[in-house]
Amino acid sequence: MKFVDINGEKIWSVIYDEESVDALTKLFRDWNDLDFLEEFFTKNSGDLASYFRITDIDLAIYDTLEDAHELRCVILDISPDADVDRLFRHLENSRIAEMLLGREKARGRRRVHDSWLRIYALKLERNTYLITGGAIKLTRTMEEREHTLAELRKMEKVRNFLIEQGAVDIDGLKDIANDGKSN
Amino acid sequence: MERAIEIVKKNQIENSQWQKEATEARDSWGWMKYSMQIALKVRSIMKSDGITQCALAAKLGCTQQYVSLILKGKENLTLETIAKLESALQIQLWGSSS
Repeated sequence: MKFVDINGEKIWSVIYDEESVDALTKLFRDWNDLDFLEEFFTKNSGDLASYFRITDIDLAIYDTLEDAHELRCVILDISPDADVDRLFRHLENSRIAEMLLGREKARGRRRVHDSWLRIYALKLERNTYLITGGAIKLTRTMEEREHTLAELRKMEKVRNFLIEQGAVDIDGLKDIANDGKSN
Repeated sequence: MERAIEIVKKNQIENSQWQKEATEARDSWGWMKYSMQIALKVRSIMKSDGITQCALAAKLGCTQQYVSLILKGKENLTLETIAKLESALQIQLWGSSS
């Protein structure tokens, strides 16, 4: 497992052994891939309709493209003296009660409806985060769907790697919250 | 035992792909959002009317490979190409939204 510095050692991203690019790069490639998005929203059209009252797949795709653009800009615009802690928040619905490493989720700004984009990271220390992955989250909890559950497993995998390498206690996943809105 | 960040730094590799790709995408968004909207509209029409990429390529007088690029939404389309798409598919693309 390797890591890359995304932004001034405040935000890092994992490169999993089986991948050729880091998690953040891969995430944004998917979020800008019309084939990927069409397949995803078609497969999850039920959740899209149930939770967001959206039945137009193309609308969902374009909303995703816009939100991805905003999130991209947020990360790119992080200044050297930025308070990155402000961009993240803790998951409140974690099923793991006692974790050495806490977890939080990321959320992009959505003017019409809440954004379903998530960037997941482990908080390494104050103002320092390690991105493990992300997802389009259409359900209330991550445990409800396989693709978001897979993100939980990634976080645990990275956390376990750090622990195995001798890491002391670190906080967990945090949100990139543009406006502090909750789910 | 050491801090997690020190472990991350020890296992760090040089990789500037994020910055490069993200900067390019951000700088291109002004026109790419329109390309994406057009691609979505064209894809929808092709699906509903059963038009293949090869068939559309024949109508446009271009290769199937180029049609594939158009459908990815990342081509900086010329007005001429947009007009040809409108004619080939009998739809309005310019000024329409997803």
